[in-house]
Amino acid sequence: MGAFLYGVSLQWKLDIRSKTLLITCYIVPLLFFAIMGGIFTAIMPEAKDMLIPSMTVFGVTMGALIGLPPSLVEIYGSDIKKVYKANGVPLYLGVALTNISSFIHLFIMSIILYIAAPLAFHAEIPENPGMYFAGLAIFIAVSLGIASIIGLAVKDQAKTSMFSIIVFLPSIMLSGIMFPIELLPKVFETIGKLFPAAWGYGLISANAFRFEHLLPLLLFFALSVPVCGILLHKTEE
Amino acid sequence: MNEAVKVSNIKKSYGNHVVLEHLDFCVHKGEIFGLLGINGAGKTTTLECIEGLRKYDSGRIAINGKKGIQLQSASLPQYIKALEAVRLFAKWNKAALDETMLDALGIHEFAKKRYNQLSTGQKRRLHLALALTRDPDILFLDEPTAGLDVEGRLSLHEQIRNLKANGKTIILASHDMAEVEDLCDRIAILTGGRIAFIGTVEQLNETIGKHYNITIRTDNKTEKYESDNIGETLLSLLMQYKEDGETVSDIEIDRGSLEQHFIKIAKGA
Repeated sequence: MGAFLYGVSLQWKLDIRSKTLLITCYIVPLLFFAIMGGIFTAIMPEAKDMLIPSMTVFGVTMGALIGLPPSLVEIYGSDIKKVYKANGVPLYLGVALTNISSFIHLFIMSIILYIAAPLAFHAEIPENPGMYFAGLAIFIAVSLGIASIIGLAVKDQAKTSMFSIIVFLPSIMLSGIMFPIELLPKVFETIGKLFPAAWGYGLISANAFRFEHLLPLLLFFALSVPVCGILLHKTEE
Repeated sequence: MNEAVKVSNIKKSYGNHVVLEHLDFCVHKGEIFGLLGINGAGKTTTLECIEGLRKYDSGRIAINGKKGIQLQSASLPQYIKALEAVRLFAKWNKAALDETMLDALGIHEFAKKRYNQLSTGQKRRLHLALALTRDPDILFLDEPTAGLDVEGRLSLHEQIRNLKANGKTIILASHDMAEVEDLCDRIAILTGGRIAFIGTVEQLNETIGKHYNITIRTDNKTEKYESDNIGETLLSLLMQYKEDGETVSDIEIDRGSLEQHFIKIAKGA
């Protein structure tokens, strides 16, 4: 356990040293929040009600899908994995440590948004903070699971970025955070539901654990874990 | 049991391409064993099969001791500091940090430098330190001095000799003949996935014979000769130059590098 905890704290430090993660997990989401929060609340005062969940869904999706895969490619698409294997370090450690560290970073970013939004834009605080943060934890875990699949399946940094953006853009555009999902044509609404962001937004903005939002997220997670296991096994071979 | 590693009848193919064919050899405890071969001869595949990093098709490999592995192409996360990497690997292997080993390898000189700031030589030393964190009995070194400058090579050679003096068995893959000649107690030459020669450097020289390369430079030209009888050939050449009125400015005589011997073996195999 001591080795694992040391690994977590080390990965946390490595992520802080990596400017990529700082940019994708903190700078871009918080900058987006500062600009879009101002615009949304100015042109649509009712946006204050959903500002915290919407900006959080953007930040988490961005940090997970754009931030995590390059870290995984660095480990599993290079000779680092051979060094791990040769020196008795299990291959799953890379995925586990980067996921735990990213989870913590994304949670911190979400807390910053939670505190800053009411101060900066008079945003409404979720009625049930306990439910909000529990739903947020589930959404972050699911987003990281999808990001891990991209990072493990694609062994090339350029291709990884492309796949990440292919998943990231519809996640954001069709999740309902930019405009109400009811305004979208039916086909786009259906496509949006193929990505966790739509369900995550539904879950954390509902102030209650709604089964219809929770179940798809749990299915995404239940699917991502064995897929990651299979991809790791393939990497080992 | 005096054998640290025993490889019996190993076969390995990639599709239809046979890389290792009926490979048989053993490595004695406490020796430095060199695995030689040109690129593509199967050195790295052989090492990785023994290390357990690669599956083989048939045969048997017996390892008598704890392994430490330094890979030919190795990397670490670019932002990890040298000492952090050593700590992580030591903790994961439930091993205490061996300060003596870290001092000997000079890890403390760059302990706080990030991996992407290390020179090639420092990276090699760090990966050697990682391989040693488990205090292995058998150490695998794949092209350990590739990319190092002369000073780095000499320093690493010294460290390899010290490891041998401390009782480690070392298996070294290299295509650098001078390195192998300098370090190894015994060598095996791999050609086409088979062992073409196994024995000491002296035995290899005896097998090849006493063949000399002679280079004579005059003011106008440089000429090369080969001979199996250095005394007679040199005498007659010098007489000839004198008769021709040419002034000899330099003579170079060498017995041929191990590389030349090994290429001959490779060609004959």
